[in-house]
Amino acid sequence: MANTAATQTTAAPHAAYESGLWSWIATVDHKRIGTLYLFTALFFFLFGGLEAFLMRLQLAQPNGHVVSAELYNQLFTMHGTTMVFLAIMPLSAAFFNYLIPLQIGARDVAFPRLNAFSYWVYLLGAIFITVPIFFELAPNGGWFGYAPLTTIQFSGGLNIDFWVMGLQILGISSLAAAFNFITTIINLRAPGMTLMRMPMFTWMSFIVQFLLILAFPAITVALVFLLFDRFFGTNFYTLAAGADPLLWQHLFWIFGHPEVYILILPAFGLVSEILPTFSKKPLFGYHVMVYSGIMIGFLGFGVWAHHMFAVGMGATADAIFAMATMLIAIPTGVKIFNWIATMWAGEVSFTTPMKFAIGLLALFTIGGISGVMHSSAPADTQQTDTYFVVAHFHYVLFGGSIMGIFGGIYFYFPKMFGRYMSESLGNWHFWLNFIGMNLTFFPMHFSGMLGMPRRIYSYDAGQGWEKFNMASTIGTVLLIIATLIFVINFLKSRKGGSVAPNDAWGAGTLEWSIPSPPPDYNFAQIPTVTSRYPLWDLKHPEMTSDISHASPDAATVADAHAAPMHEETGGKTAAELGIPMPFSTLKPLFAALGLVIMFAGLLFMHTDKFALAMTTTIGGAALLIGSLYAWLTSPLE
Amino acid sequence: MSFFRPRRYAPALFVAVALLALAACGDQYPNSTFTHLTDNNRTISALWDRLMFLGTGVFVFVEALLIFTIIKFRKRPGGPKAKQIHGHAALEITWTVIPALILVLIAVPTVQAIYTTQAKAPDGSLKVEVIGHQWWWEFRYPELGVVTANELYLPAGRTVSFQLNTRDVLHSFWTPQLGGKRDLISNRTNWMWYTPDRSLAENAYNGFCVEYCGTSHANMRFRTFVVSEDKFESWAKHQAGIAAGAPVPTAVAPAAGAPVVTGAAMAGMKMPAAAAVASAAPVEEAVGYTFPLDKLPAHVVPTTPMPTGESTIKFDDALLASGNAVAGRELLTNMANLGKAPCLTCHVIKGEMAMVKDDQAKGPNLTHFGARHTLGGGLFSSDPATLARWIKNAPAMKPGSIMPTLGAGEYNAMIKQKLASGLDDRQIADIVAYLKSLK
Repeated sequence: MANTAATQTTAAPHAAYESGLWSWIATVDHKRIGTLYLFTALFFFLFGGLEAFLMRLQLAQPNGHVVSAELYNQLFTMHGTTMVFLAIMPLSAAFFNYLIPLQIGARDVAFPRLNAFSYWVYLLGAIFITVPIFFELAPNGGWFGYAPLTTIQFSGGLNIDFWVMGLQILGISSLAAAFNFITTIINLRAPGMTLMRMPMFTWMSFIVQFLLILAFPAITVALVFLLFDRFFGTNFYTLAAGADPLLWQHLFWIFGHPEVYILILPAFGLVSEILPTFSKKPLFGYHVMVYSGIMIGFLGFGVWAHHMFAVGMGATADAIFAMATMLIAIPTGVKIFNWIATMWAGEVSFTTPMKFAIGLLALFTIGGISGVMHSSAPADTQQTDTYFVVAHFHYVLFGGSIMGIFGGIYFYFPKMFGRYMSESLGNWHFWLNFIGMNLTFFPMHFSGMLGMPRRIYSYDAGQGWEKFNMASTIGTVLLIIATLIFVINFLKSRKGGSVAPNDAWGAGTLEWSIPSPPPDYNFAQIPTVTSRYPLWDLKHPEMTSDISHASPDAATVADAHAAPMHEETGGKTAAELGIPMPFSTLKPLFAALGLVIMFAGLLFMHTDKFALAMTTTIGGAALLIGSLYAWLTSPLE
Repeated sequence: MSFFRPRRYAPALFVAVALLALAACGDQYPNSTFTHLTDNNRTISALWDRLMFLGTGVFVFVEALLIFTIIKFRKRPGGPKAKQIHGHAALEITWTVIPALILVLIAVPTVQAIYTTQAKAPDGSLKVEVIGHQWWWEFRYPELGVVTANELYLPAGRTVSFQLNTRDVLHSFWTPQLGGKRDLISNRTNWMWYTPDRSLAENAYNGFCVEYCGTSHANMRFRTFVVSEDKFESWAKHQAGIAAGAPVPTAVAPAAGAPVVTGAAMAGMKMPAAAAVASAAPVEEAVGYTFPLDKLPAHVVPTTPMPTGESTIKFDDALLASGNAVAGRELLTNMANLGKAPCLTCHVIKGEMAMVKDDQAKGPNLTHFGARHTLGGGLFSSDPATLARWIKNAPAMKPGSIMPTLGAGEYNAMIKQKLASGLDDRQIADIVAYLKSLK
C-alpha cells in the first residue's frame, strides 16, 4: 500500500506530473481518477439536464408535440437513471476519490488499481446505458423499472435489456469503490487521526460506503431475477406463472430509499467542511453530526415502503412505515440546526462555496418538510405519483445534493487545479441557479396537488396546470443559463484563474496543508494529527482551543514514519523523495472492458443470434478473467 | 463588482412564487385534491391542513433563523471575532426533542386516518370492479349487471366500494377530487371506498392512471360522473340491458363482391340466444339516463389534437350524414371479406354474437357506446367525425394502441407499411352510424 511503501528502497521511475492521454488512461492515482470522475459525471449531468429540458419543452403547454410519447418515456427514464447513477453518485465519487486520501493523510486509496477499475466500469457502463437513446432504443420503463411492465411480455425490445445490464454494470463499479474506500478509511488514516478526529466529509463518505454495500445487493438480486426472466425463461415476475409484482417493488425500494441517502450524505459532508471554514469556527456538535449521519443511514433501511403507500400493503404496514419515516426527520433536523449553530457567532463570509452551502440549508429544508408530508400515508395517497412528489425530491436532490456538490466544486477547485474559480461568475451561477431552481420546482407543488400525474407526456388544456408548467419550463431556461456560466467558469479557471496557495480558504483539515494541486504522492511526510482541525492547530491554535487534543508525542511514538503536523512545500518528485509510486497500468481498463462486453453479448440473444451472443459473452468473460489474472499477478509498485 | 450583483434579482423570485401562490387561490382548479366532496377527501384534507400548518411553522422558523444568522454574523471589517463554540449539549437535546414532539402531532392523526380509510367498506356499499388495461379502464357493476368503459357513474350519497384489478401491468386509479389513489396490482386485488357527497346531483370529474404503465400511460384517462341516486338507477337499469335503437338485423343485401359469411365460417362461433332472437326480443324504447352532453363541464371535454402532417387521417365527413347503421352492424359482425378479425373478437356488444367471453375481452365493452362521450381511454370526444378517424387508424391517434388500423391505405404502425386493403370511408361511416346508435 502506498503510504507504507516508503520503507522500500527501490523507487519506480515515475515523473511527478505526467501528461498526455496515456497518463490518464493508465493512471491509478486517486486524484487523477477523481478528476476523471468529475469530468465524466459533469458531462452526464449536462446530458441528463438536456433530457430534462426536452421534457420541459414538451410540457410547457398542453398537448405538446416536441417529442413523441415513446421518446418522452425514454427521456424521463433516462433523466432519472442518468442523474442518479451517472451524475450525482459519480460526482460524489469524484470527491470520495480526490478527498478521502487527502483528508486522512494517505498517499492513495487502499487498492489503487481497483479504483481505476471502478472508474472504467462506470464510464463504460454509462456509455452502454446512454448510447441507445440516440437510436430511440433507450430504456423506457422508468428509473424504478417496475415489473411486470419491464418483463419480456410487456417490453419485448432491447430497451429494458440495456437498462437491466447497465445498472448491473454500474452496481459493480459502486460496490468495488465502496469496499475500497472502507478499507482506505479504516487502514490508512494518519497517525493520531482517530475516527472521532476524521473530517466530517470523510465521515459521511464512510457511512455512504456502508449504505452502498448494504443497499446494492438488494437491487442486484432484483435485477438478476429480471435478467434471468428476460434471457433464460425464469418466472420471478411472469404474471402467468403467478408472480407477485410487489417482489420487485420491495427489493427495488430496499435499495432505492438508502440510495436517497447515498445521494445526499456526501453533500452533507461537503457542506460540513464549507460552513466551518467560512464561519471561522469548528463544526458545531461534531459528535452529534456523526451520530445523526449514522442514524440517518440506519433508519434509511427501515422506511422503504413509504414509496408504496398506494399499493395496498394494509393498514398496519402503512402505519409502521409512516412512523418510521417521520423518525428520519429528527436526525436530519438536528443537522440543519447544527449547521446554523456553526455559523452562529461566527464571521460568515459569502464566498461562492458558502452561498451554495447556505443554499443547501435553505432548499433542503423545503424538501425535508414536504418529505414529512409524504410520510403521512393517507395524505400521501393524494400526493404520490403526482408532480408534488417531483417537486419534493428535486428540492432534496437538486436543492440538496446538487447545491452541496456545486459548493464542493467551488471549494475544492483550488486544491484540484491550483487556481480559484471566478467569484463573480460563481455569484451569477449561484443566483441564477437558486432562482431557476425555485422557479422550476416550486410550481410543481401546485400542479401536483391540483391533480397533475407524473410521467405523462401530454395533458389536456383547461386542467388548471398550464401556468405552473409554463413557469417550470421558464425556470429550466434559467437553470441552463446558470449551468452554462458554471461550465465557462470551470473551463476558464483551470488555466486562467488566480493562483491558489496550499490553504486556499483558511480551512483546518489536512488536505489544505499540501500544495495545490497536490503532488502525486500527496504527503512527502505523513503528518501527525492531534485534533479535528490539525491545520488550525498549526496556524490558529486559538480556534481549536475548545476541542479535545491528544498529546502529539503519544501519537508520533506509535508510528516511526510520522512527522509532526506541518505544511508541505512540494516541488520534489516521488523519485527524489524515495517514495515508490504504483505503476500505471491498463489492466483495470481491460478488465472493465471485458466485463461490459460480457454483458453486452447477451443483447444478441434477443436478436436471435445465439451463437454470436455466446461468442461475445464468452469472449468478454475471457478478457475479464485474463485481465484479472494479469492484474493480480503483476506487482503494484 | 457592485454592478454585477445578481442577488438584487432575488426578490423577483419571491414575487414570482407569491404570484403563483396567489394564482393557486384565485382560479378554477378542476382536479384539485383540496376538496371535501367525499369522506375520504375530508379525512385527507384534515391531515393536509395540519401538515401544512406545522410545515409552514417549521419552514418560517428555520428559514428566518438561517437568514437572521447569516445577516447578523456576516463578516464585517472591524466586526467581532468568531466565538469558538464547538457544541452545546442542552441546545442539541432541545432541537432533537422539539421536532420529535411536532412529529407526534402528525403521527397520531396519521395512524388514526390510516385505520379509518382502510377499514372495511360499510355494508350496503355499491360494488364497482375497476379493471385496468393498457390503456383504458373497464368498470363493472356486478350487482347491477353493467359493464362499461372509461366513464364511471357513481350515485351521490352512497358508499362505493371499488375492487381494483388489472389485466396486464400495474395501473393506479385516481379521481383527485373524490379521494386518494390506489394501485391496481397484477395477480392481486386491492380495495378502496368512498362516499360522494349527497349534494352532488350532476357533477363530472377527471380520473387518471397514475402508475406508469407504458407508452400511452398519459392517455389512460377516465371520467367520473357523480349523479343523484335516481339518475344513477335509471342509467344502470338501461345499461344492464341491450342498447335501445340498435338496428335489428333484417335482410341486408351484402355489398357487391362481399361474400356472406358461410355456415363453415360461423362454426365455432357461439350464437347466444339473445342474438338469435334479437329481432323478436322487445327492444326497450326508453333510453336511460346519460350525463347530458350539454352539461359537460369544459374540463372533462378532451382537447387532444388530431394527428397532423404526414400522419393526418383523411376522412370524407360528408359520408357520415348518410351512414347506414344496418350495414354498419353487418360489417361489425362480419368483416371476413376484408381479411380482418371482426370487431367482436375484442369487443363485446351485448345482444350480438359473443366471440369472446365478456370478462376476457381485449377492448372496451361497446354495448352502450352511443351513450358515451369519450373514446380511446378518455382521449377524444366520441363525435362521429372523431370516431370515424379512430376506426380508420386508432394507433395513429393513440400511441401503442392495440386497436388495429382498419382504413384502406392507412399507415399501419405495427407492420410498418400502408394497408393494402381495408375499410373504405363509406363502410366506416356505416360503422359509425351503428356504434352511435347503441344508446
